[in-house]
Amino acid sequence: MTRKKPMGRGRSSTFVLTPIVMAFVLDAIAQVAPENPAPASAPGAKWKNGAEVYAKICGYCHENGKVGPVILGRQLPPAYIHAVVRNGSRAMPPFRFSEIDEESLAKLAEYISKSQNTQ
Amino acid sequence: MASKYIALPKGISEQTFDAAVRDFSRVLGDESVLTAPERLAPYIKTMMPVPDSEHTLSAALMATTVEQIQKILAICNKYKIPIWTISTGKNLGYGSAAPAERGQVVLDLKRMNRILEVDKDLAYALVEPGVTYQQLYDYIKERNLGLWLSVPAPSAIAGPTGNTLDRGVGYTPYGEHFLFACGMEVVLANGDVLRTGMGSLPNSNTWQVFKWGYGPYLDGIFTQSNYGIVTKFGFWLMPAPSAYRPFVIRYQNEEDIEEIVEIMRPLRINGVIPNAVVIAHALYEAPVIARRSDYVTGPGSISDVAVRKLVKDHNLGIWNVYAALYGTEEQIALNWKIVTQAFGKSGRGQILTQQDVGDDPAFAYRAALMRGDMNLQEFSLYNWRGGGGSMWFAPVSQARGSETLKQMSLTKQILAKHGLDYSGEFIVGMRDMHHIVDVLYDKTDPAQEKAAYQCFDELLTVFSAQGYGTYRVNSAFMDKVASTYGPVQRQVHKTLKKALDPNGILAPGKSGIR
Ligand SMILES: Cc1cc2nc3c(=O)[nH]c(=O)nc-3n(C[C@H](O)[C@H](O)[C@H](O)COP(=O)(O)OP(=O)(O)OC[C@H]3O[C@@H](n4cnc5c(N)ncnc54)[C@H](O)[C@@H]3O)c2cc1C
Repeated sequence: MTRKKPMGRGRSSTFVLTPIVMAFVLDAIAQVAPENPAPASAPGAKWKNGAEVYAKICGYCHENGKVGPVILGRQLPPAYIHAVVRNGSRAMPPFRFSEIDEESLAKLAEYISKSQNTQ
Repeated sequence: MASKYIALPKGISEQTFDAAVRDFSRVLGDESVLTAPERLAPYIKTMMPVPDSEHTLSAALMATTVEQIQKILAICNKYKIPIWTISTGKNLGYGSAAPAERGQVVLDLKRMNRILEVDKDLAYALVEPGVTYQQLYDYIKERNLGLWLSVPAPSAIAGPTGNTLDRGVGYTPYGEHFLFACGMEVVLANGDVLRTGMGSLPNSNTWQVFKWGYGPYLDGIFTQSNYGIVTKFGFWLMPAPSAYRPFVIRYQNEEDIEEIVEIMRPLRINGVIPNAVVIAHALYEAPVIARRSDYVTGPGSISDVAVRKLVKDHNLGIWNVYAALYGTEEQIALNWKIVTQAFGKSGRGQILTQQDVGDDPAFAYRAALMRGDMNLQEFSLYNWRGGGGSMWFAPVSQARGSETLKQMSLTKQILAKHGLDYSGEFIVGMRDMHHIVDVLYDKTDPAQEKAAYQCFDELLTVFSAQGYGTYRVNSAFMDKVASTYGPVQRQVHKTLKKALDPNGILAPGKSGIR
């Protein structure tokens, strides 16, 4: 059976995918195939836009106030959104730089802040 | 002089830490080595009733490759720096993304998030640790692979690697996640890279299809442990069945749990009901649709009378049994007959399907979880008490009616003594049950925080004295739970630790192992 391609871009080596190669308990670091340091193409810390983050994370709790308060259409200040995302609030967990980078968070904050009230 | 770090590892001077941070930066680049307070803030908040300062990290490292991790370990060995590994870092109610001990460096693998393979025919996946369930869900959907995930309730924001390594559970027939794990790649403290099972064999293509390999089975020692850093994780996926029928059975008395379990056990062991069934108490259900303040005023736990009123007002059961049938329409029709006959006999339970309950939000989220869909409705639990405090009390019980009733009564009694409510459920395995109680309290209220700590401590003491062990616990109580399993197991854990990680750099304190 041949292994399918992974999602990662620009892989430099097929080693990553074949269990054969790293099969042994290797003695030296040098023996390990270098892996592609580029993050996967799927959402890592970088997100397409604010709407995507809202749909894939925030909305599960905040859409229609299902669990947490409604946040769309309230002109919440971007700085406030930034602070809540990074620090959490009561039971809401914080979100790390590894999950959402500053640029994506800025887009999210703008998206939420400028959204119209639809709920 | 004030330190430029918000915390330091135990016994490590600022100068030594400076040197380690410099070396980490050489490997990862400055932007992936976090020491500034605002960068570390998201790792600090926990739901545990202890000051966050006890679990404050010194730095976070965002690594994305095995090679980087090997180099980080070499640095940690050199300076004796402890590192706490997280994958998706949403271990909420068990310690969140914070380390076990103040000053540990968090190795955050969230950005190591490639989906390496999903095999449609053999129905398995091989992923890196940072992959979330949402990411995998989207991947499968986009490619129309016809496979289902099994997810814990925080689904979208958590991930299969971290969840399974902590031996978490979901709600489909694949709900006991570690049972369905198949093959790991692990970086050991000395930098060696181990592939477990068939993965150790050159030219093998059976790493994700056969679990055991040859010789002692090793995967288990990398779960709930600190013997290695898992960098690839294989597990099985469930082929989407052509038909799916979720249902709920509502019972009106706490004592009815005896009947529920006695009827459920043979159905589970015989495979008529294949999934990880949940028997949820009214107070686990209520937060989705009701407010505590409508039923309780003042301090103390909610009374039985108030619970009965709540149940009546909102059309709940005192026990709400969620299960599902999977397969073809014919299989489901046959099994449905067996199930309805078994539960219909006494006339005490009311069996309802999707058609009967309409858009009931509690049913909707359970139905989503039992098919591995993304849903975070269970976070409603935190609206019950407010204030963001939570610890999962998770003793294991036999799947025997008398035992579940005993555990429930005991838990309720101890919670009430400390003014807390019984927000509990049983997740039904074949022969066991994970008795899961969310010890909810207001973390912004120091008196309640203190009560919650004492309550949890007492729960562990009383339960272990009765022979009931806890399957998983938050990082403030790991030593205590480790001690309940006795000195011999602890010594074996320690011996393995010494052999695999002589400098003790990997997650000291995890499961009480140092
Ligand atoms: C409302 C609510 C409902 C919940 N419901 C469930 C549920 O149904 N089932 C359930 O199981 N849990 C549940 N949880 C608890 C928890 O949120 C989940 O278990 C979650 O999946 C764990 O977080 P994670 O997947 O991000 O794992 P992580 O936080 O990344 O990892 C968990 C732990 O595993 C170890 N670890 C992680 N990665 C590695 C690695 N690469 N190498 C070595 N060790 C590693 C570490 O000790 C880490 O602390 C619930 C929590 C909440 C708040």
